[in-house]
Amino acid sequence: MIELTHFQVLSGLLFAIGLYGVLARRNLILVLMSIELMLNAVNINLIGYSSFMNASESHRALGHVLIIFVITVAAAELALAIAIILRLYRNKSSINTDDINIMKW
Amino acid sequence: MDSNNTIGLHAAWVIPLLSAIAFLIIVISMRLVGFFFSERSKLVMLAPILSITAILTGFILFWLVLLDVLNFGGGSISMNWLTVGLTEIRWGIFVDKVSVTMLGLVTFIALLVQVYSLGYMKGDRHFEWYFAIHSLFAAAMLTLVLADNLLFLYFAWELVGLGSYLLIGFWWEKRSAAEAAKKAFITTRIGDVCLLIGIILLFKATGTFNISTIFHIAESGGIGEVTLNSSILLIFIGAMGKSAQFPFHVWLPDAMEGPTPVSALIHAATMVAAGVYLVARMMPIFQLAPEIMLIVMIIGLITFIFAGTMALVMSDIKKVLAYSTISHLGLMMLCLGAGGVAAAIFHLVVHGIAKALLFLGAGSVMHSISNETNIWKMGGLRHRMPITAVTFFIGAASLAGLPPLAGFFSKDELLLSVLHDGQYVVLAITLFGVFLSALYMARVAIVPFLGSTPKHLAKSHESSLIMWIPLVILAILSAGVGFLILPLSSSYPGWAEFIDPTHHFELEPWLMILSIILALAALILGWSIYLKKSVSAKQVSQFAPYLYKAILNKYYIDDFYQWVIDKCVLAFGRLVALFDRVVINDTAVDGSAISIYLSALKTRVLQTGYLFTYGAAMAIGACGLSILWWVLLD
Repeated sequence: MIELTHFQVLSGLLFAIGLYGVLARRNLILVLMSIELMLNAVNINLIGYSSFMNASESHRALGHVLIIFVITVAAAELALAIAIILRLYRNKSSINTDDINIMKW
Repeated sequence: MDSNNTIGLHAAWVIPLLSAIAFLIIVISMRLVGFFFSERSKLVMLAPILSITAILTGFILFWLVLLDVLNFGGGSISMNWLTVGLTEIRWGIFVDKVSVTMLGLVTFIALLVQVYSLGYMKGDRHFEWYFAIHSLFAAAMLTLVLADNLLFLYFAWELVGLGSYLLIGFWWEKRSAAEAAKKAFITTRIGDVCLLIGIILLFKATGTFNISTIFHIAESGGIGEVTLNSSILLIFIGAMGKSAQFPFHVWLPDAMEGPTPVSALIHAATMVAAGVYLVARMMPIFQLAPEIMLIVMIIGLITFIFAGTMALVMSDIKKVLAYSTISHLGLMMLCLGAGGVAAAIFHLVVHGIAKALLFLGAGSVMHSISNETNIWKMGGLRHRMPITAVTFFIGAASLAGLPPLAGFFSKDELLLSVLHDGQYVVLAITLFGVFLSALYMARVAIVPFLGSTPKHLAKSHESSLIMWIPLVILAILSAGVGFLILPLSSSYPGWAEFIDPTHHFELEPWLMILSIILALAALILGWSIYLKKSVSAKQVSQFAPYLYKAILNKYYIDDFYQWVIDKCVLAFGRLVALFDRVVINDTAVDGSAISIYLSALKTRVLQTGYLFTYGAAMAIGACGLSILWWVLLD
């Protein structure tokens, strides 16, 4: 049987892989993809909780509703992120993360 | 003690005020002279004129106060200074027979010494400052004598110590004088701290500083025995410091570094008398603590004998007189310990006059032989300085106890008090001390003045008029004051009863004759050793060579104190300094600064400017927080 634990483990694993990707990828687009992965991992977690917890009548579909929010926010934030990356590319002609090092005094 | 508004009483507080005003005016004018007058010599006499006028007026006013005391018995005035909660701290004076006696003594001797100083200190670089300090000292001493509450007395006590410090270190360019002034101040300071603690203990027990009130409360049993005994003991330690009792006597011989008139005033007649005066004043509560009276007597006895032996071997004329002063102060304390207040005060007056005379005479001698003080380098000066010689002899004979001079009467009264207290052992030792004092007086009088004049002194001459007139006045007094002790008329029942109405004048013939025999024997012995040279001093000193060497080195007490200071006090100071540098400075102050710098050094590494470092930091932070949350919520 599929248990809640499976959802949690899957979500945690996906989140960790996403986190690794955000921090260690050298291509900015791949960083974006990793961020999406993290968000989707959270979604999976929420679906799991929503399915397996016994909630009262009005809260039964709480998790489902929440992930709709998360997907929406992810989309909006992705648009913003693409815009930033385009700007960055225009300034530096590169989307290598090693080149983003001017945030000092 | 009823009338509180007589003119005599108001005259009393004016006396110290005049000297204080003189001090202020001299100090201010000393500054202004520099601004307005280019020639200093025009105004240099202003200082002594002010100072001497103040003290002369004080002396004249003293007679008014004396009349007041004789007619009304004195009284007290006070005014409120500060009220803290329920306690009132007042300025006040209290005039009674003892304080009016001291008033007379202080104003008179101060007047004579200041007049003498006009001649002695002539041409000195700091002439005006000398008279300024004299005025300050006179004001402080007079306030001390008149004070009616212990706090006011303590203020005046400290000011007197300051005046002494300034005067001993008057020629401060000379290293030894500066050191001596420091030594005097620090030694008396130890006593002063104990005095303050005693005063505060009494204040805590009675709620007031006023002396008469404290007496009432103590006599009616309002103070616990332990508090009473400890505060009296502490007050006595304060008196010991100021009056150079053993073991606080070490400052007085070194204080001879000051000008000789200063020695005459401060270290013979007035400041060192302050301790004796304090004990006499506090006698009603001292009498409630008989063990402390015994301690007073023993310390007085030790000081008397011990300083007497040292006076016998010193070769500096001023040092001999200094040790003689310490010795006589011990004698006065001894008498106070035996309960003889009247006798002690009388001896205070007689000793003050005679010792001032001796010091001024010594100063006169020094002035004419270019400040040579070694008596073995002097001789036969009575031919060259007859007035000084005769007055010096009178002073010495008086202190040795020869009748009919004043010293004989006062010594007799002292011995009587000890006899009446029933202390026969103490009396025997005191009689030995009387012999010693006569012997060293003979020595210090004979060696410089009799015999033959060495060649290098052939040109010495008598001092100027302004210097020998005080000598003559003091000599006449020294000879005549003794008769005050006798009941002279129906309204004057003799000194003892004047001061203390429970006393009656009496004579104990065998004691009188014994003291006369001792004094004469000592004089004859001194004459034969030092003039006829029939008994050799060297042979006597070879009897007990170690004792002789010990006495000559002042019983090594100074060396002991220096050792204590070096090994204990300074070592502790170095420890404290080490603690201050290592713990407080290096660790706490510097340490906190450096630790911040080091932590910044480490955290600066995070600021790489590289975006993903920041991302990593955020991730780690978030994980950390969640773990923390998880741990805490569980």
